Amino acid sequence: MARRYDSRTTIFSPEGRLYQVEYAMEAISHAGTVIGILSKDGIVLAAERQATSNLLEQSIGSEKIYDMNDNVVAGVAGLTADANILINQSRLIAQRYLQRYDSPIPVEQLVRRLCDLKQGYTQFGGLRPFGVSFLCAGWDSAHGFQLYQSDPAGNYSSWKAACIGENSGNAQSILKQEYKDDSKEDEQANVAGASMSMDDAMRLTCMVLSKTIDTAKLTNEKLEFATITLKAGKPHIHVYSPEEIDGVLSKNESVIKPSDS
Amino acid sequence: MSIMEMNGSAIVAMVGKNCVAIATDKRLGQQALTVDMGFEKVFPVTDSMYIGLAGLATDVKTLRDRFRMRVNLYKHREERTIEPGTFANLVSHTLYERRFGPYFVEPVIAGLDKNQQPFICNMDLIGNINYAKDFVVCGTASDNLFGMCESLWEPDLGPEDLFEMVSQALLNAVDRDAMSGWGAVVHIITPDGTITRELKGRMD
Repeated sequence: MARRYDSRTTIFSPEGRLYQVEYAMEAISHAGTVIGILSKDGIVLAAERQATSNLLEQSIGSEKIYDMNDNVVAGVAGLTADANILINQSRLIAQRYLQRYDSPIPVEQLVRRLCDLKQGYTQFGGLRPFGVSFLCAGWDSAHGFQLYQSDPAGNYSSWKAACIGENSGNAQSILKQEYKDDSKEDEQANVAGASMSMDDAMRLTCMVLSKTIDTAKLTNEKLEFATITLKAGKPHIHVYSPEEIDGVLSKNESVIKPSDS
Repeated sequence: MSIMEMNGSAIVAMVGKNCVAIATDKRLGQQALTVDMGFEKVFPVTDSMYIGLAGLATDVKTLRDRFRMRVNLYKHREERTIEPGTFANLVSHTLYERRFGPYFVEPVIAGLDKNQQPFICNMDLIGNINYAKDFVVCGTASDNLFGMCESLWEPDLGPEDLFEMVSQALLNAVDRDAMSGWGAVVHIITPDGTITRELKGRMD
């Protein structure tokens, strides 16, 4: 019965569902995990690389984490080829905004423009949706550090901690339990409500990664790591080198679940 | 009156020993009327490269925004900063795209490449690149600057000597040009960083 309503993206099923969009989300649930955690000093993004072979030349280029702009870095889950198109578009969107207004694009506006693009593929043209979800971590002067999750339907929402890709449900429930947020909303009216420090956020990231990634051991070949913080009042994106990832893993050894031999 | 002489400018770039200098005046005028004495005409492109834009002020601002956009896209896509030679080609291409309705600017580029070698060049308004080994000049005071640089320039000057020379060349050239002057900004780009100094000359 569902068969009749899933070959075209631009129609609803009788139950009010868009099957192509749901199938896209299904594709994403098989992709490598990406976790993002907001802290008061910045945001941590960590991702699992799925394609590993010792023939792969991994030191050049990222598979999961990309700069969209000087103030936004994104983690990607889903079809990498689709993601490349969207990353390129988002870079153009950010630069055109800078050229027009002489000021960096606010994070939410960039995410919204990207989501409007994705939404178009669920309503017009008969083309399939993009099979990509993003976790966008950014900073702007209006709202400070923000973490947004967006899906193939073009929905987006702001999170303190989020996870996309494989085992994301599992990771999300661990994050819900473990994320410490003691901030009171009335005290921090303008700043995203987070009271964790960056070190705590890194620690929590390592813990969640070790519980959701099903390889035996976390190594720098399997992971990509990035942070966005403030340096001298300006946003600073740092994508970690393999040696730096080793440093993070050894510093947080205590929370990384030991491999079952 | 040519459109290139509407606002007035004087820009010079020179090669030294493991360093380059780029200097500009600060006047913005509307023919004889002086409107601004602090108008920025030289802009950083990367940590070790500057571009100076002489000519119509509105095109100076617009092109600065366009080049910033293109350099940022290059940085994000290629994951490295753009080299001076490559940037010069980018500027040339951008200008030639408007071959039959050009931007009324003449750019000057000065920087150090990834091997810390000095690089300077300038272009006409439709993007013909002139790669020079000694100095390049642009603007309403360009004839005066040619004379000053030709007599003052010598090779292999260190950053301090280069600064003195560039300053003398620029200040004396703009003194003989009604359309440029009102102070100067000099950037000396070295492998250890860029030193920026402001000069006060004849304020007329």
